[in-house]
Amino acid sequence: MTIQAKPQRSRLDPAPVPRRDWLGLSALGTMAGALLFGLIGLLRLPKAAVLASPSKRFRVELPQALAPGEAFVPPGRNVAIFRDEQGVWAISTVCTHLGCIVRPAADGFECPCHGSRFRSDGTVTRGPAPRPLPWLKVSTAGDAVIVDEAAAVPQGTKVA
Amino acid sequence: MAQASDALQEFVADLKRAPKRILETAFRTGPPSTDRTRSTFVFGNVFLHLHAVRTHRWSLRWTTTLGLGIATAAAFLITLVTGVMLMFYYKPYPEVAYESMKDIHFVVPTGRLIRNLHRWAAHVMVITVILHMARAFYTAAYRKPREFNWLIGIALLVVTLALSFTGYLLPWDQLAFWAITIGANIAESPREVTDALGITEYFDPGGLQKLLLLGSDEVGEEALIRFYLLHVMLLPLVLAALLAVHFWRIRKDGGLAKPADADARLAARREQETYPVFTEAPVKTYHLAAIVRGRTPAVGKGPENTVPSMPHLFYAELGVMMLTLLVCLALSVVSDAPLKELANPSVPENPAKAPWYFLGVQELVSYSAFMGGIGIPVIALLGLALIPYLDRETAGTGEWFGGPGGWRLVRFSAVLGTSAAVMIEAVAIRFGWLREWFPDVPQLIVTAVNPGTLLTLVYAAWSVWCVKRFQSARAGALALFTCFLCGFVVLTVIGTYFRGPNWEFYWSPAYWPKH
Amino acid sequence: MRKNKLLLLISSAGVLALLIWAAVEENILREWRRIQAQGRSEEGPLGVQLRQIVNRGLDTSDRCISCHVAMGPGEQGVTGAPLLKPHKPVVHDPAEFGCTVCHGGQGQATEKADAHGRVPFWPEPMLEKETMYAGCGTCHVTLGVPEKHRIKAAGAAFERLDCLACHRVDGRGGTIRPGGGGMEGPDLSRTGITGYDPEWYAKHLAKRAEAKSGPWRDAFGPISPPELELLRVFLDTRVAAPGWVEAKSVFLSSGCLGCHKVSGVGGDEGPDLTQAGLKDPGRLDFTYVAGKPVLENWFREHLLAPASVVAGSQMPPAAVLEERELAQLALFTLSLRRRELNDAYVPRDRMLATRFGRREFARDGATLYGAFCAGCHGEDGMGRRLTGLVSFPSVANPDFLEIASDEFLRETIRQGRPGRRMPGWLKENGLTAEDIDAVTAYLRSAGGVESRADGRPRRWVRGEARAGEQIYASSCSGCHGAKGEGGAGPALNNRVLLASATDSYLVETIRRGRRGTAMAGFAEPDPVRRTLASGEVEAVVAYLRTWEESKP
Repeated sequence: MTIQAKPQRSRLDPAPVPRRDWLGLSALGTMAGALLFGLIGLLRLPKAAVLASPSKRFRVELPQALAPGEAFVPPGRNVAIFRDEQGVWAISTVCTHLGCIVRPAADGFECPCHGSRFRSDGTVTRGPAPRPLPWLKVSTAGDAVIVDEAAAVPQGTKVA
Repeated sequence: MAQASDALQEFVADLKRAPKRILETAFRTGPPSTDRTRSTFVFGNVFLHLHAVRTHRWSLRWTTTLGLGIATAAAFLITLVTGVMLMFYYKPYPEVAYESMKDIHFVVPTGRLIRNLHRWAAHVMVITVILHMARAFYTAAYRKPREFNWLIGIALLVVTLALSFTGYLLPWDQLAFWAITIGANIAESPREVTDALGITEYFDPGGLQKLLLLGSDEVGEEALIRFYLLHVMLLPLVLAALLAVHFWRIRKDGGLAKPADADARLAARREQETYPVFTEAPVKTYHLAAIVRGRTPAVGKGPENTVPSMPHLFYAELGVMMLTLLVCLALSVVSDAPLKELANPSVPENPAKAPWYFLGVQELVSYSAFMGGIGIPVIALLGLALIPYLDRETAGTGEWFGGPGGWRLVRFSAVLGTSAAVMIEAVAIRFGWLREWFPDVPQLIVTAVNPGTLLTLVYAAWSVWCVKRFQSARAGALALFTCFLCGFVVLTVIGTYFRGPNWEFYWSPAYWPKH
Repeated sequence: MRKNKLLLLISSAGVLALLIWAAVEENILREWRRIQAQGRSEEGPLGVQLRQIVNRGLDTSDRCISCHVAMGPGEQGVTGAPLLKPHKPVVHDPAEFGCTVCHGGQGQATEKADAHGRVPFWPEPMLEKETMYAGCGTCHVTLGVPEKHRIKAAGAAFERLDCLACHRVDGRGGTIRPGGGGMEGPDLSRTGITGYDPEWYAKHLAKRAEAKSGPWRDAFGPISPPELELLRVFLDTRVAAPGWVEAKSVFLSSGCLGCHKVSGVGGDEGPDLTQAGLKDPGRLDFTYVAGKPVLENWFREHLLAPASVVAGSQMPPAAVLEERELAQLALFTLSLRRRELNDAYVPRDRMLATRFGRREFARDGATLYGAFCAGCHGEDGMGRRLTGLVSFPSVANPDFLEIASDEFLRETIRQGRPGRRMPGWLKENGLTAEDIDAVTAYLRSAGGVESRADGRPRRWVRGEARAGEQIYASSCSGCHGAKGEGGAGPALNNRVLLASATDSYLVETIRRGRRGTAMAGFAEPDPVRRTLASGEVEAVVAYLRTWEESKP
């Protein structure tokens, strides 16, 4: 090290050494990298890999005597299933406003929380709901119907 | 109008400069490239200013401390972080706890590794804290002015063991349940004495201890929630507070203990790393916080053998921390933390074993519950606590095995301590003890005369002899500590590997009888 | 400082390497990920993620479908790896019930060995394919199952009467006939659960009367009352698990309930078997067990040679020696694994058994004998003599039945032999009075001998007890014990025996003996044994009677 005799510079503030501390920098860098990698791993922990709730896809048997236009709500599920000559369809009964469960009404559905009203095909007629009730993916398996609450299909899709 | 546009321009300019200014106001000291900026880096940072700004070069040698204190702190940090992550998924109620452990192991992202890491770091912490205590003892680092810090260290040891013990119950498997059942019964062991004296009805510390520990008369959901509270909140807070005091005390005691001639023994330095201080002082490097009576590291000395903590001490600390992390991580990757069947109160584990660090105690407990569970541990802790107040010598501070007798005495005591423990155990295992010979012997006799007390007496006798022989309390302390350490190891080894069902002696688990 | 920098560098590099390895192992190398990567659904490649079936009512989270994806709800269309096959059609939808309720294993696990439960510290390994139906016992109870001959007869009757022409049962039958027809009747696989029309026979007859041709004419005909009864037994035991019912019938023919309780009914000498199928194989000793160290093999060995797996066991080995029946007994014991269930999931049969006290076995004499008595007294009632164990008397011995009155039989069964291994069965978890009557009647019919009363009063013997004592000591005590406590022969000082036996019974037994046993007739001349005259026999009986007062 050289102490350069520069004015306005005391011996307590010598000029910095021009060499790079490769060893130190690489050590710190590796440590930072390792800890960062570890941190990212830690941060992945809170996001659950698997949801502890019953599957969104479920099988249900429709009652024999279901009038066309009559809603069948399987117990414990938030869907309304309908059947007519053209086929079977399922509409989600989760209000698109803030998630309350709508009730089937004479002309469609109504939501008790903020007064949204829906037609029987799910479109909104009144209230704060921003979107129509989604139609859910339905498939048939023998006598039973398989509904997938997690998959939406275009309005009007009926499965024979 | 000219004023307004100036102000507006200034506003925009300030907005553009804001990001850089945010950084500048957060980190005001600048890069730590000079002695002064290195100092301000340390004392100007809330997290770092627990460190002294300058560290003595002797303290930085690997052989001075072996990095054990930092290793313990690092292990604690690892358990802290992994423990908090585990709290996202762990549920502290019976049965559900076990299921949540299974979920953590199988489906939680990184759950298996984090749980293993938590468990291994906990074990590593117990080992390093014991080794750290041994190091502090053997280098006589407890001497004036560091006596109180030694006591804080003893308290930290107890809290560490308590943390490990409370955490042991949380998985709620057979291992956990029965280990804690034993622990709680050890807490109840004063009954052995009060029953023998017939006074339990009026004075029952044993029963009270167990009730406080379990919240009930048997291990159940009350115990679990209680242990959970202790493990995740109360004990960590206590540990953190004690740690802060422990580190602060190091600073106030003048740094780590070192021999009186440390400066002379340090190798000559390369010029660039030593800066003279206080020769010219146009700019302040220390904030003077108060005027005190006493010595500080710096005043009244010549060119001192200190180096800036930043970066010397921090490289040392970081190195040890990453090494500890490496060891814990390696253990976690190759070996899963155990999880046996769901806890079943009607199916005792046989043998039901306490956590490994308590197996030495459990071995003693198999002879006398009170002596092994309370008596001897209390004697040991009391003895440890008194060391700095009984050894008031000054020769050999900071030296490994410093003091009269030195390494030879330690070596001999190790041999003596180990063989005494092995021999007494061998007699007890081969021939049984007291009650096998005299079926009607009163309980108090059995409490007073058992391998544990016998061993303690042998060690104490040897230690007293050393005090007389070397005319030094330190020699006695060296002898006694070494004997106890070796005795602890022997008993723990016996309890771990050679005790099988019904706590019978077996040369190997291969010989254990099937159910 | 250089050393510390090196330490930091190397440690950090090590940490980084280990973390990368751990990340790779968890996110790429896990087996379930590799399996799912091979899968394809209708929409394209399968999204790789953990999958589980959650059933809050049963408190299960089964992650089996992370590998067995095609068995998950709505995933039947997934193809790819051999593991990705959909579940065979079964009664209980796996999408609702999960997997472990029926199959056992560790549902929460995601590694193969852990999930299949074949790891230390998991007490309930997955059931093997051969014993799969044992899983039904987790929730269900079969009611009114008869002993094995009867159920075989019932099955044979069903086949013989050509019911399979129109009805399917357990995947068989309902054949389409060349002349037309067939597959016209309902599937009868589950009539034991769903029930069936009690008027079916009348309706069948009516249909037959109407029909001019076809299966109603060809395949169906009038059925006799005994065969109708057999058909009733058959239909009542159809629960879509024929192997399980058959296994139970073997159980009910082996006399296990004589010493063991199942669902609160049975004897007290052996351990309660209600949860035997849930024994933890990790705690058992398989040293002397052939084959894989699984629970059913342990049961099998236990049945063959009880003392080899449970030291000091007094259990007589199972009377059945056929390999198939041994396997069935093991299967049935494995099925005894009832667990606590949420009310919503308790099946009807179990509710009837636990709340309404319906018995799990049929109440006819043959079944009751098979269920409670056959283990000790033999399937044929001829008793069992086994080395190392007290011998069990023959109860269908013609000599015995001829002199034992029905009352004697009844009292013996009701009160047992206190102090000996025969328990009294008239108790809450034993047999009812009607049951005991049925067993008595069965013994009579099995032995084929009616009792022959001799008209004498119950006590008529007048003999010298002291003389009898000497004779007893020389002729009887060798088998019956010095004080009548028994040995190779039954205990004679037993209070119930002496109370229920008439003097004629005792005298005739001594005089005539019991054919086929070690008790020879002492009235007959014999080269080895001392022959006793009538007076001597009566003296012995008088001596036996002296034991009556001394008993409490």
